[in-house]
Amino acid sequence: MDKAEVEQRVKKVVCQVLNVSDDMITPESHFVFDLGAESTQSVELVAAFEGEFKIEMDDEAALAVDTVGAAVDFIAGYVK
Amino acid sequence: MTMTAAPSTDATASSDFENHPLQSVFAPKSVAVIGVTPTPDTVPYDIFHNILTSGYRGTVYPIAPGKRNICAVKAYRYVLDIEDDVDQAVIVFPANVVERALEQCGQKGIKSAIVISAGFREVGAKGLVREKRLVDICREYGISMIGPNCLGVINTDPKVQLNASFARKMPDEGRIAFLSQSGALCTAVLDYAREKGIGFSKFVSFGNKAGVTEIELFDYLHNDPQTDVILLYLEELRDGRGLIEAARRVTRGDNAKPILAIKSGRTPQGADAASSHTGSLAGEDPVCDAVFREAGIIRVASIEQLFNSAILYAYQPMPSGDRLAIVTNAGGPGVMATDAAVRVGLSIPRFNEDTTAKLKAALPATANVKNPVDVIGDARADRYGAAVQAVLDDPNVDQALVILTPQSMTDIDSIAKGVCQLHETASKPIACSFMGAADVGSGIHLLQKSHIPHYILPEWACEAMADVQRIRHWREQPIGDIEALDVDRATVESILSSADEGYLSEDRSLSIMGAYGLPVPAHRLCTTADQAVAAADQFGYPVVLRVISPQIVHKSEVHGVALDLASADAVRAAFDEMWRRVSELMPEAEITGLLVRPMIPDGYEVILGAKRDPSFGPTVMFGLGGIYVELFKDVTFGLAPLDRHTAARMVQQVKACRLLEGARGRVCSDIEGIQDCLVRVGQLINDFDRILELDVNPLIAGPMNKGNMVADVRIRLAGV
Repeated sequence: MDKAEVEQRVKKVVCQVLNVSDDMITPESHFVFDLGAESTQSVELVAAFEGEFKIEMDDEAALAVDTVGAAVDFIAGYVK
Repeated sequence: MTMTAAPSTDATASSDFENHPLQSVFAPKSVAVIGVTPTPDTVPYDIFHNILTSGYRGTVYPIAPGKRNICAVKAYRYVLDIEDDVDQAVIVFPANVVERALEQCGQKGIKSAIVISAGFREVGAKGLVREKRLVDICREYGISMIGPNCLGVINTDPKVQLNASFARKMPDEGRIAFLSQSGALCTAVLDYAREKGIGFSKFVSFGNKAGVTEIELFDYLHNDPQTDVILLYLEELRDGRGLIEAARRVTRGDNAKPILAIKSGRTPQGADAASSHTGSLAGEDPVCDAVFREAGIIRVASIEQLFNSAILYAYQPMPSGDRLAIVTNAGGPGVMATDAAVRVGLSIPRFNEDTTAKLKAALPATANVKNPVDVIGDARADRYGAAVQAVLDDPNVDQALVILTPQSMTDIDSIAKGVCQLHETASKPIACSFMGAADVGSGIHLLQKSHIPHYILPEWACEAMADVQRIRHWREQPIGDIEALDVDRATVESILSSADEGYLSEDRSLSIMGAYGLPVPAHRLCTTADQAVAAADQFGYPVVLRVISPQIVHKSEVHGVALDLASADAVRAAFDEMWRRVSELMPEAEITGLLVRPMIPDGYEVILGAKRDPSFGPTVMFGLGGIYVELFKDVTFGLAPLDRHTAARMVQQVKACRLLEGARGRVCSDIEGIQDCLVRVGQLINDFDRILELDVNPLIAGPMNKGNMVADVRIRLAGV
């Protein structure tokens, strides 16, 4: 899976979990500051990414990821 | 929907107050809550909801990225998206994005921020770095920041009505301001106050106080026309000196307002390293106690006492004296109240003839018409009313305490209403103690509605009255100017320039004391017995020999002190013996010489000390001296430099003062001379930063006509 596909699917998950529109999301978007993620939604995002990409991530490291771009890079490391 | 209604301005308030930098904290015209979420029962939601529903007279904006609205109010993604000006931001984002939010606040021109979020200094080094970045942003943009890690701010002023906190309910309006470093305590206090019918003017949880501290808040509340009393709960002192200076401005002079404080959790910083008497005695709370007292801060031990005293001051006139009349329907509580009153320093006056006649006319023959007045168990409202009115009219009475125990015929509510009516026209304070719980409940409620202080126990009423007396005395007591003393500063500079870190030798310490005008004995450092005999011949017998060595701190333990040497032969023998024994006991000690000085005549041993306190800076200590100083701890403290009035009060504050004043027919000591020594010691530690601690222990307090003398002194220096 190439990085562009990872990015597209990450955006899709973010839109679904945080209930935000696609045009709000850029690689620099901060889940909390820019997209309004509540603390429980961070956990939901991790679970949703794992479901979307059929991967199992390190929880602590995954929860430390705070922007969309960093999430793409983090997940790309699992799916390559 | 946007909630809009600009707060009206108080035409009578001074323009200075209206322009105070903290007005944007307490009376913002608009507030943005940054980081709001739509989930009830979370801090971000509840704060926004509280502002929206507390009756806030300004405009409130939710900043909630990705949300169209919160509680039907249009939401914004960023504070920068708001078109209108915003006065205040309440930041509820997690700690890791607060910095970004605050930066945007600065760009938006917002002048105050309440940072509710936790995760800063209180969590360790990483949090402290985060907190410092917030401080930098506030400095760059001129933002007044409350917090982080706090409950928020409440202003009950009807023109503002701001509840920017996550407290469950808006408190009632009142004349008391409450400041707290602990957020959790705030919620408990609000609940407690609601139960007691106590209202607030301002309520501030200032958390980590990275921006606005209690010092700036004092200044604001001093000028706040809604506030009469300031209550403070403090855990950590960062600028003790600044706090004291601010408190003095608030608690004295025109528009004086009392400050009552709970100070908890003071760590004995530096005390473990201090080996002097002053160090070990000063490391704990007594310094804070004494210094607060000298700043007019009434330090109390509990929340109960804090409010007991505050409601009495806030809602009753200031009594002109300490004379208390007690009216009771039960003898036992009357006696207990009398005991308590006397114990805390109130007086129980005799009534004049007119009052006694009125009481006799109004009360049954079995009643006690002396103070405390016992109206007898079957008293009803008429009897209580007549007795309370009579004692309040007595010119020998400054205040009254009404005690009630619920007996079968006691018409509790009528008695309460009668007291309320008297209170409306009384020019003297009235406090009540309706003892019990269930039966007296409705009566207590009536009293509280009329702002008549009520106390479950009469002893608490007496303690509150004593606190009000302290406030009165503080306002009346003189504080002088710091004098320019005639001292030989150059000599001290010269000695210190050649001295290393650690303890200074006794001969040089004595020279420093002499240079600052303290009475020191003639002394000479001798390295031979012949020199010692020559010195003794010159000073006159008897003399004292004392070993001088940088390695020897406690001379007596190595036989380094010889007293009462009455002849040249005795001096010679003692010199040789001391040198030999000290060399044997401490072969590693380098003996500089033996100090010869005259014997000092007997007198009371007192201690004068000075120490650099980590919170308050240079402080001075005074107390009973000698070998029992740490046993009795009969000491007090003051901030250096001292004025003479403060020095006089310090001497008065210790129990040993009664000895100095000539107890049991003894000759009065030179108290004025002791005060002069205290002022000079205060000047010395204030002038020289390298002096960490000094002990004059003992200063021998001689009779008034002979004066005092420094018998021993130790000075500890910091490195260059």
